[in-house]
Amino acid sequence: MKRNGPLLTLLAGLALAAVLITVNLTVTARGGDDPDPVGFGAAPATSAPAAAAPSASPSAEASPTAAPAAKVNAIWAGTVNGGGATIAISVTDGVAVAYLCDGKKAEVWLQGTAADGKLSLTGKNGATLVGTFGGGKATGTVTASGRKWTFTVKAVAKPSGLYRATATVRNAKVVGGWIVLPDGSQVGVVTVDDVPRPAPAIDPATGAVTVDGAALTAEPVTGALTAN
Amino acid sequence: MSEQTRRTRVSAAGLYVPLLLGAVVTVTLGVYGSVHTPTGIAVNVAGFSGPQTVKVWLATGAALLALVQLVSAFAMWGKFGSRVPSWIGPLHRWSGRFAFLLTVPVAVHCLYALGFATYDTRTLAHSLLGCFFFGAFTVKMLSLPKRGLPGWTLPLLGGAVFTALIGLWLTSSFWYFTTIGVRF
Repeated sequence: MKRNGPLLTLLAGLALAAVLITVNLTVTARGGDDPDPVGFGAAPATSAPAAAAPSASPSAEASPTAAPAAKVNAIWAGTVNGGGATIAISVTDGVAVAYLCDGKKAEVWLQGTAADGKLSLTGKNGATLVGTFGGGKATGTVTASGRKWTFTVKAVAKPSGLYRATATVRNAKVVGGWIVLPDGSQVGVVTVDDVPRPAPAIDPATGAVTVDGAALTAEPVTGALTAN
Repeated sequence: MSEQTRRTRVSAAGLYVPLLLGAVVTVTLGVYGSVHTPTGIAVNVAGFSGPQTVKVWLATGAALLALVQLVSAFAMWGKFGSRVPSWIGPLHRWSGRFAFLLTVPVAVHCLYALGFATYDTRTLAHSLLGCFFFGAFTVKMLSLPKRGLPGWTLPLLGGAVFTALIGLWLTSSFWYFTTIGVRF
C-alpha cells in the first residue's frame, strides 16, 4: 500500500483532471449540432462570471432552467488583419458589442447579436460588422466611414477585453473605449464632445482612469450599450 | 518491472523510466496547450468572483503547502536534528498530495481556457514551468517507490518540483496580487 501511494497520488490527479475536462467539455460545448468540439454556447449559469461584471449587468440574470444552452457568452480581441487597428467583441447572452479603434482618433462602436456562429452588428452612420465565430476565434469584416477592416481574433479572458466609460465632465460629453489585450497592452480612444483623441491608460483591475482631470471608471462591456 | 535486480546496488538506471514518463507528461501538456484552441472560458468554482481568482487562490494554497513540503523534507533528512518526529513523514506525504490536487484544476483551466502562451516573458515562463512541473512531479512520484536510487535523487527531484511550483506561483498569483490586487 505504502509503495503504491505515489502512484495513487498521480492517478488521483489524473482522475481529477479527467473529471474537470469532462465537465468543461459538457458545459462549454453547444448542444449536439456544433461542428466544433469546443463551442461557445456555454450554459449561462456557470460561464456568466467569466464574461459578466458582478455589478450592474443590464440583462437580468439568466436562470439555468429557463435559458436555452445556445446563448453565447464570449470575448474576442486582437489586432485587425494588416495591423493599424484593434478590435474587441464582447458577447453577453447573445448580445454583442464590438469596438474597433486605432488608439489615436478613429473608433467605431457596434452593437448586435451573436448566435448560431454568426456575428451581425451595426453602428452609427451605417457602420456594420459581419462575421462568424467558433473554436475560440471570431472572423469577420467591419465596414465604417468608407473603410473596411477584416479580422480574425482569439478569445480572451479577463482582465483582457472591452471597457467603456461614459460621463459628463464640465458639460462635455465624454465617451471612452478601451481594449485590453492578453499581453497587458491597451488601445483606446476617448471622445470629448465628439472630438476623438488617444485615451489615457486605465487600471484594468478597477477601470479607474483620469480624463481632463476627472476621475472616471471604465466598466467591462456586458450586454447592450447604454448612453452613447 | 525489474526492480529486484537493482535493489542490491546503487544505480541511477532506475530513473530512466520515470524520467521518460515525466518527459512524456511535460511534452504532452505543452503540445496540448499549443494545439488546442483556447476557449477563453471554463467552468467556474462557486464562491469566487471569477475563474482567475479561483486559480490565484488555489495556486496560493498549493504554494503554501509547498513550503510545508520544503520544511518537512528538511526535517525528514535530519536537517533540524537527528530526532525526526514520526508525524513528519505523513505530513510530507499528505501536504504534497493536497498541493498536487490543488494544482490540477488550475492546470486544467490554464490549458483548456488559455493554452500555452508566449505573449511576454511572464506567460512564457509560466507556460514552460507549468509543463515542467507536472513532468517533474511525475518523475518524483514514480521514483519514490524505487529502491537503490542514488541519494541525491529525491532531494533533486523534490527541489525541482518545489522550485517549479514557486516559480509558477510567482508568475501567476504573485503577479495577480501585485498587478490586479488581492481579490476573492
